[in-house]
Amino acid sequence: MFEIHCPYCDEKRPEIEFAYAGEAHIVRPNAQDQGEMSDADWSQYMFIRDNVRGEHCERWWHQHGCNMFFNAVRHTVTDKFVMTYKMGKSRPTAKQIADAKK
Amino acid sequence: MLFDQAIDIPETLKGDAVSVTLMEERARYNLRIKSTDLTEFKKLTGLKLPRKINTSSAAKDVTCLCVGPDEWFVIAEAKSKAKLDKLLAKASNKFVCSVTDISHRNVGFEITGAKASRLINVGCPLDMAIEAFPVGKVTRTIFESAAILLRRTGEESFQIECWRSFGPYLRDFFVRASRDF
Repeated sequence: MFEIHCPYCDEKRPEIEFAYAGEAHIVRPNAQDQGEMSDADWSQYMFIRDNVRGEHCERWWHQHGCNMFFNAVRHTVTDKFVMTYKMGKSRPTAKQIADAKK
Repeated sequence: MLFDQAIDIPETLKGDAVSVTLMEERARYNLRIKSTDLTEFKKLTGLKLPRKINTSSAAKDVTCLCVGPDEWFVIAEAKSKAKLDKLLAKASNKFVCSVTDISHRNVGFEITGAKASRLINVGCPLDMAIEAFPVGKVTRTIFESAAILLRRTGEESFQIECWRSFGPYLRDFFVRASRDF
């Protein structure tokens, strides 16, 4: 069974409890800017994603567990989870990712 | 308590290795409250909500289960319902929180016997060893295709809560699975 570490439950849980929730660290434009944004800006925010080949920061939802969203770094080719971290933490640096792999 | 659907499967399953019983009616609440308010909440209601995620606290007839960083279930004997209704209504006036009465949304099963953990592992991949899942530990998870709330009440006894509509499916599943033991 493929297992994912949930940073809130702080334990490894079976994959069937989780749901993928898209790329992480995409900042929603604040309310003041929204009125002035062009269609191109909106489409950039809504639809344009990196589609990384390699380590990808993405959101996961522990739907059938603690019901919390968290972020994870996953390798999109090997499907291996490098690390998971709580919501609100900034994108891990290359060094942090390298450390997590050890 | 009977299910809506009439299916030809006994309410209780009694075996040498494992028994499954449908639980009596209970008072159940889903409670969302900030973890910083827990001390004040206890002062007001007398309910001790566990702080650590996936743990439970049992006091007299009321059990409090922590399933998320700000989410609890309160499960009590049906006769305490009127008292708890009042207590939690009082709390909901004082704190920024959400209290939902789910007494009739859920049904509960008690699974007991030497092979209780094996029966759970038929439909749920969690590690049921006593070290990994000690007495009192609780979690929401998936059993086959039904979302359940699982709690270990003793070394060889578990409590499973699920939505009422999943009840007949789970009961059917337990009966079929236990034929293998």
